[in-house]
Amino acid sequence: MEPNDDVKTILGNLIQKSGALTGLLVTKEGVSIAAQGDTSYLNTTAMSALVAGMFSATKEVARMVGETQFSILLQQGENRHIHISLVHASTMMVIIFEDYQRIGLVRHEARKGSDMLAQALAREESSHMSSDEKIATPQFKEYALNLIDKIFEAK
Amino acid sequence: MPHINYRDREISFKIVYYGPGLSGKTTNLVYIHEVLDPDRKGEIVVLDTAEERTLFFDFFPMELGRVEGYSIRFNMYTVPGQAYYEASRRLILEGSDGVVFVADSQSERLEDNIMSFQMLRDNLADYGEDWSHFPMVLQYNKRDLSGLVPVGTLENELRLDGIPVFEAVATVGIGVMETIRMASRQVIEKFQM
Repeated sequence: MEPNDDVKTILGNLIQKSGALTGLLVTKEGVSIAAQGDTSYLNTTAMSALVAGMFSATKEVARMVGETQFSILLQQGENRHIHISLVHASTMMVIIFEDYQRIGLVRHEARKGSDMLAQALAREESSHMSSDEKIATPQFKEYALNLIDKIFEAK
Repeated sequence: MPHINYRDREISFKIVYYGPGLSGKTTNLVYIHEVLDPDRKGEIVVLDTAEERTLFFDFFPMELGRVEGYSIRFNMYTVPGQAYYEASRRLILEGSDGVVFVADSQSERLEDNIMSFQMLRDNLADYGEDWSHFPMVLQYNKRDLSGLVPVGTLENELRLDGIPVFEAVATVGIGVMETIRMASRQVIEKFQM
């Protein structure tokens, strides 16, 4: 993989070029898989869960009016705005920006970056499929079960 | 199937509290959040209506720790119980790795419990999951009230052979941690790649 081709670099460049504050990639299950820009003010875990819920709900709304889905969600606030778009079927990109006049630029960079991100995610996926690393082994499960017992038994 | 982030070495499982309206799903979640050590939990998000009924979902992330170099996280969700929130329930259940079914033990709520469980079966089937092999725990909540159905009623009515069962009074925490401990264990035991 080229150093400039990885998910975080692409997302970071996108944030920089669009003048946005923060960028997140979120799975449809609500898990944050990458964050770039300033995240110091943001609970990215809770944000990801809420964004995934919001996007799923919007998909149902789209279905009710005869659309498969709305590919972009835009939330306009007083000082901060959120642009959410689909990178591919199971991943969303969230861009938080402050200057609403940049909406055109944000939209342009999001569209341009989407394909690159989709390809980078696919490359990540295939490189892990071909690796021989095993999770879910009996040993892994034993350690995890011990942790669960330790956390809950004293409560 | 949990979400595995190989790049940052994180595995995220999703546990969903399901059940009829006002059975105590949020109460379970809030209690767990209260008693967990601060370094084990993230902020809790509660989205409820003016009547304190869950509108969309409640959520908090629970950090299990590191196993074989991977950070393990359980993302805990509740669904809204009221019948008319069917679409929300189905959406929240997507990608779940385990379910805690919180039943209201009062005998007048028996039908509501049965209907809710049937919806759960249908929702899981929508995602290609066979409920009988799915990690699941049944909790009989509100055992401090009167006019209760005996434990075993729902298992008989719904033919839930072998499902782990716990009695609870979630408002004071009785049975809450035992329930989540078993649900977490089931999720890990049935985890396959």
